[in-house]
Amino acid sequence: MHRRTFLAAPALLAAAPALAQTAPIAPQAMVAAADAIRNPGQPFRVTSTLTDYVGGRPRDKVVLVVFAREDKKTGQFNNLVRYVEPPRDAGKLVLYAGSTLWFYDPASKAAVRISPQQRLTGQASNGDVLTINMQRDYKAAMVGPEAIQDADRQSRNCWHLDLTGGPDAVYSRIEMWLEQGTHRMVKGKFYSDSGRLLKIAYYRKYIEQLGVQRPSETILIDAVDSALVTTVGSSDMRPQEIPDAWFQRDFLPRLKIEG
Amino acid sequence: MTDPSHAVRLDAVEKTYEEEGLRVTALAGITADIPRGRFVMIVGPSGSGKSTLLNLIGCIDRPSKGSVEVAGQKIAELSDDALTDFRARAVGFVFQNFNLFPVLSAYENVEYPLLLLGLGARERRERTMAMLDQVGLADQARQRPNQLSGGQKQRVAIARALVKGPSLVLADEPTANLDSANGAAIIALMRDVQRQHDTSFVFSTHDPQLMSHADETFSLRDGKLVGHHVAEAV
Amino acid sequence: MLFKLAFRNILRNRRRSVMSIGAIAVGAIAMVLFGGFVAIIILGVQTDTVRRTGHLAIYRDGFFTFGSGNPAAWGMQGYTQVLDMVKQDPVLAPMLEVATPTVSLFGIAGNFAIEASRTFMGAGVVPQDRDTMRRWNPYQLTYNNAADSGLDAADPTKGVVGTGLARILGLCEALKLSDCPPPQAKEKLDTPVSTDIAALADSEKSANAEPVDTRPHIDLLAATAGGAPNVINMVVTRADRQGVKELDDAMVLMHFDLAQQLLYGRGEKRAIAIVLQLHSTADMPAAKARIAELIRTRNLPLEVRDFIEISPFYGQVTGMFGAIFTFIAAIMGVIVLFTVVNTMSMSVMERTAEIGTARAIGLRRGGIRRQFLLEGWILGAIGASAGLLIGIGIAMIVNRSGLTWMPPGQSAPSPLAVMVDGMWKLHAGIWLGLMVMTTLAALLPANRAARLPVVDALRHV
Repeated sequence: MHRRTFLAAPALLAAAPALAQTAPIAPQAMVAAADAIRNPGQPFRVTSTLTDYVGGRPRDKVVLVVFAREDKKTGQFNNLVRYVEPPRDAGKLVLYAGSTLWFYDPASKAAVRISPQQRLTGQASNGDVLTINMQRDYKAAMVGPEAIQDADRQSRNCWHLDLTGGPDAVYSRIEMWLEQGTHRMVKGKFYSDSGRLLKIAYYRKYIEQLGVQRPSETILIDAVDSALVTTVGSSDMRPQEIPDAWFQRDFLPRLKIEG
Repeated sequence: MTDPSHAVRLDAVEKTYEEEGLRVTALAGITADIPRGRFVMIVGPSGSGKSTLLNLIGCIDRPSKGSVEVAGQKIAELSDDALTDFRARAVGFVFQNFNLFPVLSAYENVEYPLLLLGLGARERRERTMAMLDQVGLADQARQRPNQLSGGQKQRVAIARALVKGPSLVLADEPTANLDSANGAAIIALMRDVQRQHDTSFVFSTHDPQLMSHADETFSLRDGKLVGHHVAEAV
Repeated sequence: MLFKLAFRNILRNRRRSVMSIGAIAVGAIAMVLFGGFVAIIILGVQTDTVRRTGHLAIYRDGFFTFGSGNPAAWGMQGYTQVLDMVKQDPVLAPMLEVATPTVSLFGIAGNFAIEASRTFMGAGVVPQDRDTMRRWNPYQLTYNNAADSGLDAADPTKGVVGTGLARILGLCEALKLSDCPPPQAKEKLDTPVSTDIAALADSEKSANAEPVDTRPHIDLLAATAGGAPNVINMVVTRADRQGVKELDDAMVLMHFDLAQQLLYGRGEKRAIAIVLQLHSTADMPAAKARIAELIRTRNLPLEVRDFIEISPFYGQVTGMFGAIFTFIAAIMGVIVLFTVVNTMSMSVMERTAEIGTARAIGLRRGGIRRQFLLEGWILGAIGASAGLLIGIGIAMIVNRSGLTWMPPGQSAPSPLAVMVDGMWKLHAGIWLGLMVMTTLAALLPANRAARLPVVDALRHV
């Protein structure tokens, strides 16, 4: 499978507005708030810039445009991703609807399903991190307050939460550090069913996007293949009307996206 | 049923065959009656059809036209197997070259026709030994043909031909390979049998000694009957 | 009388009869030896196969046809009950050597310290059962004696990989393999290091560093049956050579518990197959039928397959040797046919005058035919019997000779042997086959003899 598979921009569900609190609220409410920071609550588009680093040196760069919309019935977020750069991948599409991943190449006009086995490594595995829905799929428990270093080596006071994945969740366990007060995600650790650490994520460069401070850069560190790091930058987030048809596999060949 | 007066009746018998695309007529219409209980000779130059006629009389061949009746049996009515069975019962053969079975002893050669008739062991034994006695070869019973002289071999052959008590015995040049002493002995032997059992003998021969014993002679030339001589009764 | 005549006629031309009998005997010898040789080879392949895959496997219904590409979706629910059912069944229990659950799965094996990874095919087995299966040897074939499996019943983290996979993952030296490839020149990036990214990665590395273990390790990544990414670490105790290169480059043999952990994660632990090894292959049809009956009467969504279905190589080897044997038997048959036809035709020709005489005296056509058929039959009987005895004798000498050879697919020489015990079906078949052949061969000349016109035969000198 193509190494540079889809990588969805930070986008998700559960439309609860950001809360700013000083006293600790219930852990589940906290993660709901954290989710809300990443989710505008309306269909939107955003430009994602992904850069791979090997041993600290940048290697590959991909630019995508992501169209995201919540399916009101299931609460699931659907993402349609279009490659912009590099030129040889331009026009390729990835559809993330429900838990199925489809890859479409306009040159061959064929839509190929990407199975979970094919999403174990590479950029597809990062997509799982970026598209988690903590409030819906995980049960949060409070570990305690903890001061940790963020991605810029600044100390932040956080709530350390321990999330347990339900039967459909991708990760069986997540450790999440949310900034006290803002409930911004600072750092996350994602574990497999066997208890091994799979990914580490840092969230930084919070800027205003669609009226709320959202992380414009996520740093994903592969804990299994420890030389690999990917940065995901999001920019130009705007609301967008997205028709239902866009998220149907059969419609992919006829998809015309302007702008 | 057996006609007591004739051994063989021939009626307009013809025999033709193809040889290299040419049609050859061996016998061109023979009508004759051969009496029973006689020494009958068939004579003629070579190519006259003697052997062919003998074959027809011996029931080992069928005429192209006409009918052959042997010992009262019309042979045209019989299938091949039935004809073979008829020969087994009624016709004995003595050949110029003896034609003994080389793998069998004198005794076994003589016994052979009785096996074909399905006789029991004791009866076979009695008749075979009696026959060997009669031809004077009881002591040579166990010997194989290659251990016997020419005269002895022919005597075994005669014993074989006669052991089943046939109505008719056919002998094609029976004395040709024997010296005159043996030849005379053979002829005397056959005479004895003829007298004892009223057996009909049909010979084809050039041997003057044998011909002098003829009761009747049929002469053939070019496939036709050209002469019939009956000797005076003795 | 007929027999006496036939025997004496055969002895008439001793040399010719001996040659015919010789040809028939050689045919018999060749087939006894080849048949016995093939039998041993097939038993060897059977032993190998049954050691590896057992006699029978129970899967979820449909797995065998559709499921091999995605075993995760075909797990057997409640497999422990199925295992118990099989072990306690009064019909199956006495036939059973071992019944054991197995897991198969796909994923990515990696030695990420050197950035080497490759897709792997994994088998999870119960080590004690596996060792029991590898000791199966009812035919007393002495080659390829079972070594231990390389797994540790007490330590599920230990496993074995194929030699090709070991080399690809850079474990060549650690596992003391030969033919180690030179270390790959790493992809050199000349872009400047991004210091903050590098610093972040390093700090995580040291925070998560595990105690140093000098034993060779690999990471195995797989998607669980539930679709979640999962990873486990396995200690590689050794690399085993697999017969087929594709397998050698992908095989990972691990403890059943570890495989279950990787494939099922937090979900219900299932098995992909229940493998049964019987004491004797002869019991297999009965065992298979019994299992099918149990499946049917208890309405279980399962199917049962035997090793001939599971291991196409066995069927192919058996089929190939069967075809070769048939081919050789056919050739022998044709040679025997020609030889006997020739012999008997000469015999008929030489005895033409006798045939005529016998016919004249009163022997029917059928009698002549029977005579010659009997002679052919006697030649066949003597030739086939002599050949069988000599062939068996040669086989016994070979078996005791101590000669060895290297069967295909083995790495050590095995004793050269020709199966003789219990081959009565083969031997009877050879005898009967040759008998039929010779009698048929005699038929043509016998018919010709029977149909000779008496007059022409007598004319023959």
